[in-house]
Amino acid sequence: MLELRDITAGYDPAAPVVRHATLSLAPGESVGLLGPSGCGKSTLARVAALLHRPDTGTVTLDGSPVRGWRHRAPRAQRTAVGVVFQQPRLSADPRLRLTELITEPLRATHRRDEIPRRLAELAPAVGLTPDLLDRRPHEVSDGQLQRACLARALVLRPRWLVCDEMTAMLDASTTAALVAAVEDYRAATGAGLLAVGHDHVLLQRWCERTLHWNDVTRTRDPAPL
Amino acid sequence: MTDREAVLSVRGLSVRFLMPGGRRIAAVTDAHFDVAAGECLALIGESGCGKSVLASALLGLLPANARTAGEARLGDLDLLAAGERTLARTVRGRLVGLIPQSPAAHLTPVRTVCSHLRETVAALTGTRGRAALRAAAEAAAARAAFPADHLDRHPHRLSGGLAQRAATALALVGDAPLLLADEPTTGLDRDLVDPTVDELRRHVDTGRRSLLVITHDLAAARRIADRVAVMYAGRIVELTDARTFFGTPGPRHPYSRGLLEALPDRAFAPLPGMPPELGSLPRGCAFAPRCDRATDACTALPRLADGVACHHPHLPEGLRA
Amino acid sequence: MTCDPATTAEPAWRSHGTERRSTRAVRVRVCVVLVAATVLAVLLVPPLVRLDQQAVDLSSRLLPPSRSHPFGTDDLGRDLLLRCVYGLRVSLLVGVAAALTATVIGTAVGATAGALGGWADRGLMRVVDTFSSVPHLLMGIFIVAMFRPGVWPVIVSVALTHWLSTARIVRAEVLSLRARPYIDAAVSGGASRWRVTVRHLLPAVLPQAALAAVLMVPHAMWHESALSFLGLGLPTHLASLGNLIQAARGSLLAGQWWPTLFPGLLIIVPTLAVAGLAGAWRERINPRRRSELML
Repeated sequence: MLELRDITAGYDPAAPVVRHATLSLAPGESVGLLGPSGCGKSTLARVAALLHRPDTGTVTLDGSPVRGWRHRAPRAQRTAVGVVFQQPRLSADPRLRLTELITEPLRATHRRDEIPRRLAELAPAVGLTPDLLDRRPHEVSDGQLQRACLARALVLRPRWLVCDEMTAMLDASTTAALVAAVEDYRAATGAGLLAVGHDHVLLQRWCERTLHWNDVTRTRDPAPL
Repeated sequence: MTDREAVLSVRGLSVRFLMPGGRRIAAVTDAHFDVAAGECLALIGESGCGKSVLASALLGLLPANARTAGEARLGDLDLLAAGERTLARTVRGRLVGLIPQSPAAHLTPVRTVCSHLRETVAALTGTRGRAALRAAAEAAAARAAFPADHLDRHPHRLSGGLAQRAATALALVGDAPLLLADEPTTGLDRDLVDPTVDELRRHVDTGRRSLLVITHDLAAARRIADRVAVMYAGRIVELTDARTFFGTPGPRHPYSRGLLEALPDRAFAPLPGMPPELGSLPRGCAFAPRCDRATDACTALPRLADGVACHHPHLPEGLRA
Repeated sequence: MTCDPATTAEPAWRSHGTERRSTRAVRVRVCVVLVAATVLAVLLVPPLVRLDQQAVDLSSRLLPPSRSHPFGTDDLGRDLLLRCVYGLRVSLLVGVAAALTATVIGTAVGATAGALGGWADRGLMRVVDTFSSVPHLLMGIFIVAMFRPGVWPVIVSVALTHWLSTARIVRAEVLSLRARPYIDAAVSGGASRWRVTVRHLLPAVLPQAALAAVLMVPHAMWHESALSFLGLGLPTHLASLGNLIQAARGSLLAGQWWPTLFPGLLIIVPTLAVAGLAGAWRERINPRRRSELML
């Protein structure tokens, strides 16, 4: 389970962007979260990926409560959630070649020996050809770079995926290709998915369950369990 | 094609980028199209297919390493041959109004919408005097349905939709016969897309203006366009009526078909592979390596004939016996 | 609509470039030549020209520039051209060493403050503020006064007064980079704080830091000259540019312009050339300019 309970979060404690949001995903489930831009759904996605510490509220990941965020989260917990962001240009270190970009998490977690095997599996899965892998971000298109960012999110085999507006900047064909790659990965591993976006046609087609932002943040009485 | 007179007439427009090491990037190759008054043409295609470069060429905003060929006639003027002085004094704002991508970022953050409008009005129409400028700015805002009580707001206090209207109001000030909208719906919420494109469409329906929309958002193109031009690897591969393109019988070029089928409300199936590099295009049809209809004939470059550049186009429904 | 067969032939290409580029290229070339000449003179003249810069010739005191002494002679009859080259050598050595030291300190402090954030950031930046609240020259004098005169105290003095701006630049750069999604992605990929800093943050700020270092060389040279001119810098037997001007103070009042003019020019011209090159480089690494090349 990935459970977010009564989350209030933001960048200024006086004016939180997310107020009392509650959301839970069953293992292997795909949930789409719809909301207008600027509503705070990206912040909630960052909380779910353990990248932003909420002001109040609890996050439970596979049964164990999350006590630290970012570097303070245990590595095993952090890497259990893979993330893909909206803008591939900002999500890729401009100095790294696509190969290094994709395999950087393996290096960071001291699993270099897996690099050749994972690369050989992931590159075709996201549709990247060998000649593209040798290039740097400014030498590829947005769509190609987002494919690499997806591969990076999958390289540690996360049990959960958080896709924050993953396809908002991309054309129809690349969108379909990336969604297919995510779904192939989920079919093979049983990973759960939280897809955040504003395109209801896309999310309804993609996810088993779609929630609107208002359904998630409605203040409720704490339900007695 | 419409029988109305063309406002913009593009013939053989090509753009090359000279890269370090002598490489040449074929960003746009041999584009031919017209846009008539009261008509909207949508230029669609994947990112990197050359559509934004084409728009920059029309506005004379290409970087120094670009080379162009062909012509783009707007009335008596060839936009490609015009010098920077002509472009700055008579073209931008006066003959071509640009509605930019991400308008909120296009507006100066420290100035109000009204101050933007006043400056543009003063520059383009020569209106002088505080009261006259304010009145002209209000009139310009009203034309783009921008609410008058938001005029004194700064760009960051506008919603995406209102920022778009502010940018549209600015583009309309010079009463340019051609409006050019570059990805007007990217970054907008889906619920805002329809009202935004309807708003743009309204300015075309007056019958005097023509609109060239550049977008990868097929849903927006469907709602706004009279005709669509599909670009692939720098070439226009299909140029056809929007109603037949999005409805029945549908697109005729295999690429256009694949692009439409990738939509989440259709088959949601991606085209196989990726677009070719503009720096090393294959000989013949650039789409052939990804095409399930490709044959030996595709090693020769298909000409744009009857609105489609393909050796094996899908036949219109009625002709399929 | 069919294509005209004529259009398949190679069409006539039109260029849309502006001429601004070429004047900048000339400016950059002039700077390169000046910097190269300075470096070559400083490196090659002492080993190749076997003349003693200290050779005193009282019979030819304070001669104006001539064929045999292009820069003239000083009050002890020493050849000023030779003295200036040696002076430039000392000044450049001090300048480069001080700039490098200052950059290393500044980058380390700035990167630590930016990467750690929180109380570490606040504490380090207060230190920076404290240092910058004292006038540079005053603190430089104070530091020099604590040691015996020599090259090292001057380098330390200049370095300790000049790392502050680099620390601020690096910290600001690191802070803005830290908010990028690619840092989030690295954290999510299990990267430690150290790895994020070394692998993603530092390489990104190094061009900026290097630029700051290059721009600091002229600054450090000026600072050294000022200290020497005040008689607090290098010992007088070392011919630094500042020392040369200081020694020639008296003769300027007597109407002998050459002993001050030439060392002065040698401070100004190479430092301007370095600053010009650094400016061109900054334009190069500025991402805005890079995006000018579309695609």
